Amino acid sequence: MIERDIRLFFQYKFLIIMRAIWFVSQVLLFGVIAANMVNVPDYFKYYVGGLSVMALYSTAIFIGFDIYEEAEHGVFEYLLSLPVSRRQLVIGRSIGGGLRAFIYVGPLVAISLFVIGAVNPLNFAIALLALFLFSFGVSGMSIAIAVLIKSSDRFDIFMGVLDAFIVRLSTTMYPLRQLQSTSQLYGFAASLNPLSYSADLFRWGTGVESIIAPQNPLLPFLGVVIFFGLFTLLGVAIYERMIEGGGWR
Amino acid sequence: MKGIIRMVEHDFRNFFRYKWWLVGLISMNLADLFVSALVYNTILKPTVSSAIGSYFNFFAPGLAVTGLFASAFMIGREINMERRREVHHYLLSLPMTRMELAIGRVLSGGLRGMMYMSPLLLTCFIFLGFPNILQLLLILAVLFLLAIGISGLSISIAVSTSSLEKFITARGAVYYVLFFCSTVFYPLTVIQSAGAALATLAEINPLSGASDMIRSILLPKIPSSFSYLSIIYIIAFSAIFTFTAAFAYMKILERK
Repeated sequence: MIERDIRLFFQYKFLIIMRAIWFVSQVLLFGVIAANMVNVPDYFKYYVGGLSVMALYSTAIFIGFDIYEEAEHGVFEYLLSLPVSRRQLVIGRSIGGGLRAFIYVGPLVAISLFVIGAVNPLNFAIALLALFLFSFGVSGMSIAIAVLIKSSDRFDIFMGVLDAFIVRLSTTMYPLRQLQSTSQLYGFAASLNPLSYSADLFRWGTGVESIIAPQNPLLPFLGVVIFFGLFTLLGVAIYERMIEGGGWR
Repeated sequence: MKGIIRMVEHDFRNFFRYKWWLVGLISMNLADLFVSALVYNTILKPTVSSAIGSYFNFFAPGLAVTGLFASAFMIGREINMERRREVHHYLLSLPMTRMELAIGRVLSGGLRGMMYMSPLLLTCFIFLGFPNILQLLLILAVLFLLAIGISGLSISIAVSTSSLEKFITARGAVYYVLFFCSTVFYPLTVIQSAGAALATLAEINPLSGASDMIRSILLPKIPSSFSYLSIIYIIAFSAIFTFTAAFAYMKILERK
């Protein structure tokens, strides 16, 4: 299942090109220019670190669209007829969705590392593990929402609205202190946002910690682990329940 | 003329089929204004802050232009889909000339952009102050020209790409270059400090011209990079892409 989902993803070559254009233009245009506008030290590096997490999030979400495609084209019945248990099918999809996002974002992360420069190997390994868990969690969340909503249009809209707020109310684009000083509510939302945890951990792992300074990196790491556990289990449980008796239609 | 009105009516009806998509787009635009712009307000460099005042006020006109671009560009997606599904046979059977059909499509794309942009422009007026009637007419006229140009650009891309994926990829490339190399998000002085080539691109960019014109009217105390040359750039952009789109659309209809 994991292999199939990864192969399927790389058939969307235009999606891949599109995301790469998005990433490069964000780095070379918005990142470079905005760094001259804001009073945050090393903002360019800070932004590039956050961008990698945004790219990971938007790619891991994509597994939900695959589920609709399969339901629409009758592929789902074929998947159910394969000699794999329901649980293997469901867990495979969740891992496949997260893994392919990670593979895709790999080169973008490499670009980020090149831009950011310094790397502490141990910190970076922990940050990378957190990103892995984060992408599995996002993939599980996408599966759970897709199966519950049951309409590709509504799913598309819901994810668009969620994306609008989850990205902006996180520390991917600006530091937590500034979110808190703008509004206590924004600060509170950002401090509970898994995107903030992943972005802060990635920056911590790559050495851009002077701006974010997580006093204790264990806390965001714990946040990512909880997010992963909750949504992977939830996604698997909901998907497993819905696939019996045509409930996914 | 009747044919053009019929085409506009047809495209407006189609537009309302995407109401939920529009809800998603509006939420994204509002999140940009009420979250990102407010946060950036607190992290501006003192030099930028003294030049533009509030980033929220600076960005509000840019947001109206962002909304206009996204909605006026939607016509291209529909035309690309019609091309792939061969709906043009039906369109060619309608009692109207090819030119009416093509002009109607470009015009409706622009008008739809204007309609979607209206609440965003109103939000901008609410926070920045209302212009007088002449200023309002000038703003609407310039934005309409820009909307027609964007619609034309979108149709030109739609008829020259054979699949939705290629269209979306081309749209992404155009979108990012036009937006990030414009004064929609940041003032021209900031772009100049990032590179001369980027600044030149931003100066001739019609999106910069439209955003700066609204700023120069609604925020007269803030130094603006707007010049009357910007209006000429917008007129040129609109004329080039309206005619390119109309002729490319007619050609593609007749070819198959």
